[in-house]
Amino acid sequence: MTVTDLKSAVQPYAGEKARLSRAYDYLILVLAFFLFVGAFHLHVALTVGDWDFWLDWKDRQWWPLITPLMMITFPAAVQAVLWPNFRLPLGATLCISCLLIGTWITRIFAYHLWNYFPINEVLPATMLPSALVLDAVLMLTNSLTITSIIGGMAFALLFYPSNWPIIAMFHVPVEYGGAQLTLADLFGFQYVRAGTPEYLRLIERGTLRTYGQYATPLSAFCAALLCTLMYPLWWWLGKAFATTKYVQNI
Amino acid sequence: MINSLKSLLVGLGLTVVVQLCSPNAALAHGEKALEPFVRMRTIQFYDVEWSKNNLAVNDEVVLTGKFHVAEDWPRGVAKPDATYLNVSAPGPVMIRTERYINGQPSVSSFALKLGGDYEFKIALKARIPGRFHIHPFFNLHDAGPVMGPGEWVEISGQTAAFVNQVKTLDGAVIDMETYGLANGFGWHLLWIALGSAWLIWWVRRPLFLPRFRMVREGRHAELISPLDKTIALAILVGVPVFVLAANAFADRQYPNAIPLQAALDHIDPLPPVVNSGLVSAKIQRTEFNIPGRAVTLFALIHNGSDQPVRVTEFATANVRFLASGADGANQQNTQNTDAGVAREGLTLDPPDAIAPGETRALRITAADALWRKERLDGLVRDADSRLGGLLFLVDPTGARHIASVASAVIPKFK
Repeated sequence: MTVTDLKSAVQPYAGEKARLSRAYDYLILVLAFFLFVGAFHLHVALTVGDWDFWLDWKDRQWWPLITPLMMITFPAAVQAVLWPNFRLPLGATLCISCLLIGTWITRIFAYHLWNYFPINEVLPATMLPSALVLDAVLMLTNSLTITSIIGGMAFALLFYPSNWPIIAMFHVPVEYGGAQLTLADLFGFQYVRAGTPEYLRLIERGTLRTYGQYATPLSAFCAALLCTLMYPLWWWLGKAFATTKYVQNI
Repeated sequence: MINSLKSLLVGLGLTVVVQLCSPNAALAHGEKALEPFVRMRTIQFYDVEWSKNNLAVNDEVVLTGKFHVAEDWPRGVAKPDATYLNVSAPGPVMIRTERYINGQPSVSSFALKLGGDYEFKIALKARIPGRFHIHPFFNLHDAGPVMGPGEWVEISGQTAAFVNQVKTLDGAVIDMETYGLANGFGWHLLWIALGSAWLIWWVRRPLFLPRFRMVREGRHAELISPLDKTIALAILVGVPVFVLAANAFADRQYPNAIPLQAALDHIDPLPPVVNSGLVSAKIQRTEFNIPGRAVTLFALIHNGSDQPVRVTEFATANVRFLASGADGANQQNTQNTDAGVAREGLTLDPPDAIAPGETRALRITAADALWRKERLDGLVRDADSRLGGLLFLVDPTGARHIASVASAVIPKFK
């Protein structure tokens, strides 16, 4: 299928109407871009916060629980607008891409150039694989229920393995100060910041101690369960706060 | 009139531009904002010393000092079961290469004992050129930071010259400044490319108005082509398979990877240095003369040593009040730190030395604008208006006795 075929399949307008309609597309896309870069980035900074900021917060218990749970929110709400009204299966990917753009801008300008942290210490997590799968599940099933269960679970379960290839090398052990640390811990010790203490870094707390040392899968499945609930909640929020009444007369 | 208005507007504009172009440097870390009773009665720093304050990139400076954990720990502050001796700086302009508490290497948090004495040593390696204000400080769990005396440090050289190599337990020597950066960029770029491809796949078609109209007309099935479904199916299968394969590959590549470490260090206090027993001090009453910016301690001091002793200094919250004739040498070289020093700010009544075996009622007055400048006068409006600090006493042989004192404060408003 060529581009022309794709365009003609979805184009009830012709001439000036088509041109204006396309201009409207770009206008909305630009506004949506800035809205999601700002709003979603702020949401993640306030909720996931340090877990995404610092290498030595990316633990195997809390990080895979908090991050998907807080990052499935905007994708669900935006999907609730774009899929039922426009049959556009890109809400999750769009939100996560905007988030990553905002995140990378702050990591480079605020953390690295302004506050001198090496960029490798503040590498963000990626949720793009999870977002792509979430969009694909919604498109192929056209079902809120199945997307909540299958898509929500996949969104959470894919998070840690998607990011392990990025952070594994920072979990290589090193002997320092008479103790065994990961390189990520060493970043926290060497590159001084106010939020270094272990009691601030919420790492390995709780009672997940009786399952053969496998903390990550337990956290991931816990996040998966919660995401199946968080997804429909934010879907309904998106549906409740979005309106198409201004385009009813087209 | 119009010309005057124009001149006024131009003047205002220039003022705004000048202000914007020359912002004032931030000269503090909020240390004065913390409630006085927390600063006075938790961690009592003294003998804080910097080995130098002028260095080049890659040079090391050693910060040493001591602190006493106040016996009269405020009820409103969580007990110091988890604390971290940190360094306050405008970002990692220096890296911390070593930290010792009581001679023991320490990289993690640790518990402090009330009334305990500790000494510390922190080695910092210069990384970013510039002039920076740096403090030792304590993170206290559930209480926040308590600052020690700060110091301006001047770093010369080039950022690019900074080297920070570390040897892992696998034997590899890595550069901390760039380690894992290319790998991280690579993975992010890969996923951004795939995500962008998916977005472009949809965005290149007419989007909102035409699609909305077709959905409203019940033609939504036409909006998703068989090729779209094939691609979505490929994503649904391909992405998880690829992710799991990459995860397994990373596992194989780093078989010795360990989780982030969360253990606390265990550090015992030193044998008593403060309140060590030879000389003891008890504060019976404390009056705070607000307009006079003077605090008077009515102390009962017992000299159990075999030498006469004299009070030379009262130190609290990084402010030092020195008695007349005292040169401040009763603390190790603190000339480099920017602790507020009120020379001749301490008066004693009676002023003569306390003889061996004598118990003396002494009226000690610490008077200086530093009470106001350091925002310690807010103590009288705190929920816990008790004062704490260290009294330094010196005998003719130079031996030093330190007493940690505390007392309720009675304000005098006139």
